[in-house]
Amino acid sequence: MDTTSHLMLMALFAGCVAVVGGVLLKDTLRQQARSAAEIFGSLVGAALVLGWILYFFPL
Amino acid sequence: MAARPSPKRPARPAAPAASPAAKPLALVYLLGWLIPGGGHLWLGRTVKGLVFLVMLPVMFVIGLALEGRLFPFTPGEPLVALAAIANVGSGLPYFIARALGFGAGRVLSVTYEYGNAFLITAGLLNALVIIDAHDIALGRK
Repeated sequence: MDTTSHLMLMALFAGCVAVVGGVLLKDTLRQQARSAAEIFGSLVGAALVLGWILYFFPL
Repeated sequence: MAARPSPKRPARPAAPAASPAAKPLALVYLLGWLIPGGGHLWLGRTVKGLVFLVMLPVMFVIGLALEGRLFPFTPGEPLVALAAIANVGSGLPYFIARALGFGAGRVLSVTYEYGNAFLITAGLLNALVIIDAHDIALGRK
């Protein structure tokens, strides 16, 4: 794994948080998997959207 | 003056009955803090406990591998102190890493901030896990 890829590290971070969050929030395996997928998608999606917004406002 | 009849009060919802195998809360907190997922394992939530037992130390180790820093309690630097508190939240992995000399952090590393994010988040998630164990111990979940 390329440890300097920001996208990969972000996805890895989101994956870890999603698994813990999903298991923490729900009780059945199906609900946990769904919740984890939602958390993962939200984190990565929000980061990509914010990244593109900031692209148009360079420092 | 005639005394007004007192309106009948609605019955209070009964407090959750303590289970026969009720565990001391302080021990649930202590175990959950020192061993991520330990509180859940002790309370019989084996699968959840095992997931936490694996995922939280893995996040902690990734943070160290990415050259993140275990922050010291520095007087006069409240933000650093907050990060230090979050780091301590990881429990035994934190103390083991400290004892072995890990977690010095390398600011010039390109992954330094990612490492910090993993280390801090692992500790904060463990705090949430302890709160969940608290709810389970009280019979709320």
